Amino acid sequence: MALVTLKNVTYQYPLTETPVLKNVSLEVNEGEFVTVIGPNGAGKSTLCYAISGFIPHFFKGELSGSVKVAGVEVRDSNLSEWVANVGLAFQNPFNQISGAKYTVYEEVAFGLENLGIPREEMKNRVEETLAMTGIRHLAERSPYSLSGGQQQRVSLASILVMQPRVLVLDEPTSQLDPIGTREVFGVIREMSRRGMTVILVEHKVEWIAEFADRVVALHEGEILLEGAPGKVLTDPRLPDKHFGISRYTQAARAAAESGLWPAGRRLPVTLDEAVEGFSKSAQR
Amino acid sequence: MHERLSLYIHRESPLHRLNPLTKLTLTFALILVAFSSPWYWTATGLIFAVVAPLSFVGKVQREYFWTALRLLAPVTGFIFVMQSFFLPGGETELFQFAFLRLTSETLAQAYLTAIRIFVMVSSFILFLLTTHPSELMGDLTRRGLPGQFAYVIVSTLQIIPQMQAKAQTIIAAQRSRGLDTEGAFLKRVGALVPLVGPLVFGSLVEVEERAIAIEARGFTSARPKTFLRELPDTPADKLIRWTLVVLVLLTFAANLWLS
Repeated sequence: MALVTLKNVTYQYPLTETPVLKNVSLEVNEGEFVTVIGPNGAGKSTLCYAISGFIPHFFKGELSGSVKVAGVEVRDSNLSEWVANVGLAFQNPFNQISGAKYTVYEEVAFGLENLGIPREEMKNRVEETLAMTGIRHLAERSPYSLSGGQQQRVSLASILVMQPRVLVLDEPTSQLDPIGTREVFGVIREMSRRGMTVILVEHKVEWIAEFADRVVALHEGEILLEGAPGKVLTDPRLPDKHFGISRYTQAARAAAESGLWPAGRRLPVTLDEAVEGFSKSAQR
Repeated sequence: MHERLSLYIHRESPLHRLNPLTKLTLTFALILVAFSSPWYWTATGLIFAVVAPLSFVGKVQREYFWTALRLLAPVTGFIFVMQSFFLPGGETELFQFAFLRLTSETLAQAYLTAIRIFVMVSSFILFLLTTHPSELMGDLTRRGLPGQFAYVIVSTLQIIPQMQAKAQTIIAAQRSRGLDTEGAFLKRVGALVPLVGPLVFGSLVEVEERAIAIEARGFTSARPKTFLRELPDTPADKLIRWTLVVLVLLTFAANLWLS
C-alpha cells in the first residue's frame, strides 16, 4: 500500500492569481526513493510543503484534493503531529538551525523536547542519530561554527531523530560545495538503505540517477513524466522545457545525431553509462 | 568572528549547581535589598560581604572582577562624579568653582546611588557568569513561561553576532561598488542607508524559513515538553529562595518602620 498519496491536488498561494500545483496525483510506497525534478517555478517546493503539512497548516491559500500519509488526511491532523510523521529539510542550512541551542547535541534534541520524549530515550536517539549522520565528533560544537555541509547534516539529524516515516528534502544540497554535497547525499543514501521513504527535490541529475527508484518531472505545476530514472532523465522533451540535463546525456545526444552512439541504446545519465556506450560505439 | 554574547563560563562550583531560579531570586533579592534598605552602608556591605565572596564560591572571581572593573567602574564612577557636582541642595560646602558645587550631602547621596547601581549590575554579571542561558530558559519554561518567549530571548542572543557578520558582508559588498563609508559623521550616517534594506528585508525573508524550520521540529506541539538538561531543584534551593524572600520583606518592613 502507498504510504503517501496525493490525489488531484491543486493549490494556490494567498494573493496570487494562478495555482502553483494543478491536479497533481502521486503515490509513494513505503521505503521508496522518489526524486522530483523540474525547472524554476515548477512547484517543487510547494509540493514539498503540501506533503509535509505546511500547506494547509502554515501557508493558507486554496487547497483542493487530498493529501494522505499512512491513511491520515492532512486536513484532519495538525502541524506538530504531522511533522512527527513527515520530516522536512530544505536548502539553506543556516536558516534551519533553530537558534535556540548552543551545541549540536542540544540542537538535535530540540525536536524531541518539543514532542515530549522522555530524557533517557531522547539521549539514546540523539546518540544514534549523531552516529548515523556522521556528526558525532561535532556534538559539543556550536551549530553556527560549522561548515555548510556539516550544518546541513545537523539539520538532517534534527529531523531524522524524530523518526519520521517519510523524509521530504527540498534541494538539500543546492547551497553546498561538492564536499558538502557528497556528505549530505551519503546520509540520504544511508537512510534510504535502512528503509526510509524519501522524497527528494534535486537538480543534480547524476546523483539522482545513482539512487532514485523513480523520478517525477514537474512542469508548471503538473506532472509531465514519471518513471525509472534512466528513462525520465533522458527523455527528449526535457531540454526544451528547461529541465536540468546531465552533460553525459547532452554529449550522447549530440553524438547520436552524428551516428556515434550505438543505435537503440538508451542515452546515458552518468559517467559510467556514457563510457560504456561510447566504448561500444568505438569498438564498431 | 564568533563573538560570545553570553557571559556564561563553565566551571564546577556550588553556585553553578544551584537551580537557575534560585540564582535569579538571589539577584533580585540583592537589588531590592540594596535599593530599599534604610541603612546607608547596606549596599556597600552587600558588595563586600555577599557578591564578591560569591564570585569566589562560583570560581569566576577573575572574570567577575575584570568585568566589574572594565564595564562597571567607569559607568558608576561617572554617575558618582556627575551626581556629586550637580545634585541640588546640601549645606556643608566642600568645594566651589564656577557652576560646580560639591557638598558633603551630595557626595554622600551620589556615593549611595553609584554603589546601588554597582550592586545591581554586578549581581547580574555574577548571575550571567554562572548561569547557562539554555538552563535558565529551560527552567523557566518548565515553570510555565511560554516556550515562544524563551525562544525569542535565547535565539536573539544567538542571532545578533550572525546579523553583525551579515552587516559586515553587506558593507564590504557596497564598498566594493564604490560606496564611501568613511569620512565625516553625516557621510557615515548616509552610508548606513544602503545597508538597512538588504539587512532588514533579508532578515524578514529568513524569518519565514526559520519559522518553517522550527515548526518542522514540532515547536508548537501541544504535548508537554521534556528537557534534555537535568535541572535539579533541591530542598536547599527552595530553602534559599524562601529565606531570600523573607529577607527582602524584612528590609521593606524596616524601610517602612524607620521612615
